[in-house]
Amino acid sequence: MSETSSAVTAFEALRRQTLRRQRLQTLAGLLIFSAILLISFQRSQFFSSDIGDDPLGRIGEFLNRMIPDLKGEALLADSRTEGSLAWWYYDLPRWLRLGWQTVEMAIVATVLGAVGGLLASFLCARNLMPIAAVRFTVRRTLEAIRTLPDLVLALILVAAFGAGPLAGVITLAVSTMGSLGKLFSEINEEVDPRQLEGMRASGAGYAAMIRYGVVPQVLPNYTSYALIRLEGNLAGAAALGIVGAGGIGIELQRAITYTEFDTYLAILLLIVGMIFLIDIASEAIRHRLIGLGESR
Amino acid sequence: MLELHGVTKRFGDTLAVDNVSFSCQRGELVGIIGRSGAGKSTLLRMVNRLTDPTDGHISWDGRDVSRLNGAALRQWRRRCAMIFQQFNLCPRLDVITNVLVGVVAERPLASSLMKFFPAADRARAILELDALDMAHAALQRAGTLSGGQQQRVAIARAMLQEPELVLADEPVASLDPVNAEVVMDALQKICRERNVPVIVNLHSLEIARRYCTRIVAMSKGAIVFDGPPAGLTQTVLDRVYAGRMTPETAPFSIVEAA
Amino acid sequence: MNPGQLARARQVAPEALQPSWRRRLINWALTVAAAAAFVAMCVDLQLAPASVLSGFGKLGTFLANSMPPSDGGDLPRILVALAETFAMALAGTVIATLVALPLGVIGAKTVVGQPVLHFVFRRSLDWFRGVPSLVWALILVSAFGLGPFGGVIALALADIPSLAKLFSEAIENADEKPLDGVRAAGVSPLMALRYGLAPQVVPVMASQVLFFLESNFRNAAVLGIVGAGGIGFELEERIRIFAFDQVVFIIGLYMICVAALDMVSQSLRQRLA
Repeated sequence: MSETSSAVTAFEALRRQTLRRQRLQTLAGLLIFSAILLISFQRSQFFSSDIGDDPLGRIGEFLNRMIPDLKGEALLADSRTEGSLAWWYYDLPRWLRLGWQTVEMAIVATVLGAVGGLLASFLCARNLMPIAAVRFTVRRTLEAIRTLPDLVLALILVAAFGAGPLAGVITLAVSTMGSLGKLFSEINEEVDPRQLEGMRASGAGYAAMIRYGVVPQVLPNYTSYALIRLEGNLAGAAALGIVGAGGIGIELQRAITYTEFDTYLAILLLIVGMIFLIDIASEAIRHRLIGLGESR
Repeated sequence: MLELHGVTKRFGDTLAVDNVSFSCQRGELVGIIGRSGAGKSTLLRMVNRLTDPTDGHISWDGRDVSRLNGAALRQWRRRCAMIFQQFNLCPRLDVITNVLVGVVAERPLASSLMKFFPAADRARAILELDALDMAHAALQRAGTLSGGQQQRVAIARAMLQEPELVLADEPVASLDPVNAEVVMDALQKICRERNVPVIVNLHSLEIARRYCTRIVAMSKGAIVFDGPPAGLTQTVLDRVYAGRMTPETAPFSIVEAA
Repeated sequence: MNPGQLARARQVAPEALQPSWRRRLINWALTVAAAAAFVAMCVDLQLAPASVLSGFGKLGTFLANSMPPSDGGDLPRILVALAETFAMALAGTVIATLVALPLGVIGAKTVVGQPVLHFVFRRSLDWFRGVPSLVWALILVSAFGLGPFGGVIALALADIPSLAKLFSEAIENADEKPLDGVRAAGVSPLMALRYGLAPQVVPVMASQVLFFLESNFRNAAVLGIVGAGGIGFELEERIRIFAFDQVVFIIGLYMICVAALDMVSQSLRQRLA
């Protein structure tokens, strides 16, 4: 019995010790966290904001104003008739043109960014770039690019290149390069080394090694990632317009500024539809690519 | 005394347990043997009501437990402890908390939510762990222990429930021979010292022969043998294992029995 | 190589030596068409080399002007703005977590077994997930006026559907065995969640929340540009007046903060694992 009770005393001693440490840690953690949280809510004026007496009512009113005043009997009439679809989408040709411009921006930026990312990925893959300093520099640069939000970069580039799609394309291309460069280099490092050795053994140069040893292995994965990025870039291109970097975003901004909330909804639906179509197309291509990769 | 009357379980079209009746006294260590899929696990889970029987009655000391619900059902589960093949501990909780789960049902809601247990509970948990030589690991996470150690923790948890009946579903199937022996010894000790019936599913005939006071053999959901280990002849085994186990291919020492 | 060998090779592998001209032609045509389409798009977007060059020239001037970076005597204000951005991110993440938690539990297949209900619930979450925080911010800033409040709600609204889905999946992926073990001890359903499920899913959820905090810190900087205050607003102001020494200073400071937050969150996540 003395043995078993000694087990209990030993445990209780150990428990007190552990508990004291744990409680201290938990207490400190909780204190710090709640202090930060409190300050955060205070700083973000979450509770002190003057949001009117009836915030939900205001959102409701806002949403209500987004719903266009369509009339059933005049639905298919021309744009001068109040309540028709054409009246709601009163500037449709311009929006479609800007929408197409947005798509073009996304595609061009994805292509440019993918090419840039490809070059960068070879420079920072451990199995393809022997010089550590180069790998380090390229990696850090890509990381820095990924940290910078697109919209901030777009603001700077709009100042340099002027308002228009050029600034938007460069912004998206740079940020695409940042993310694809990292993903591509991860793919590169998974390349089967036996094939590379085989190439080296048969006396192939660096370029030939990449062309025949690496590219065939990684191409399907590359394309798949680039297509996913294309989907993201389309939403990105639509948003960039808000700061004047081309595309349909400028119209969204205008609609908000002139408090044409029904127009805002109209353009938003257009963008969502556009993204939806590109998503479907890109998914179809990706599925075919994956199927291709398996059958090989 | 545990009594089963015509207990049946169907999963869709398959008959998992077919009209099983047997009873079991205090102090008995009953081994249930049979091929996998014979309905052993389902039978045990029905006693504990983790699975509901399709038909039949299960009673404990004359009281029907097969139709219990809610609080009464939880009360019954507390009285019959269950030990699982995969231990079923929470790997991220420490060992002592895993053991104390055995008394959670009897403690106030608020303190249980906070994982707070009175010192008396902790002392009991440590004593149960110590009896299985596991008190040293009380503050470790259960997931860091070996399989044999985890099973001992699971037994300590079962003991903290102060069970009137212990069910063990393949408790040694995932363990190496040394640990299997430790765990079976513990079950045997529980059966003798606390005078509770222990029902244990086993796939190893050798272990069943060595530890059990009585063996129940199942085939295709029905009981095909019920008696002392000595009565387990080759003829019976042929029926249980449907001729699949000839002395040459038997993984366990059936030869000496035959 | 003599003619006999060639003939033999042809016999063994006809495709290898006689490349399908049709396929080659198609491949070439596709490549040319893609290149032409690309060029046409560039032209349509007026990506003229001249404007690219002049733009990069201006960018060079900006960069030259930005050296050495300077805080413009406004360091306290910049730090406060950074803190405000972090505050928005944290407040948004906490609110999103609080709302997403019950939604995630309801959305888990193992909790709500009804398949139709589950399908409808998940689909509606999917639909809302398509709306990025920037779009929410535009709506909310015009509804509530300028200030971080709209930004916080925008971040939360954008996170809730994704977090709820991740929470549901965490619950669905939880191991059933510990739950069975706890139930067998006769505990109530609430206690079964506390001792069987929570220890498994809470660390997973916490790590996901930390990921969202990181990404919200980035998004919060963007929301400032559309009027939600914080560092984005300070940046926009300075870009507008071409004060690039201060722009570079702020961006550098911001990047350091992002890296620091990522490091803290990563070490926390490692401790959770």
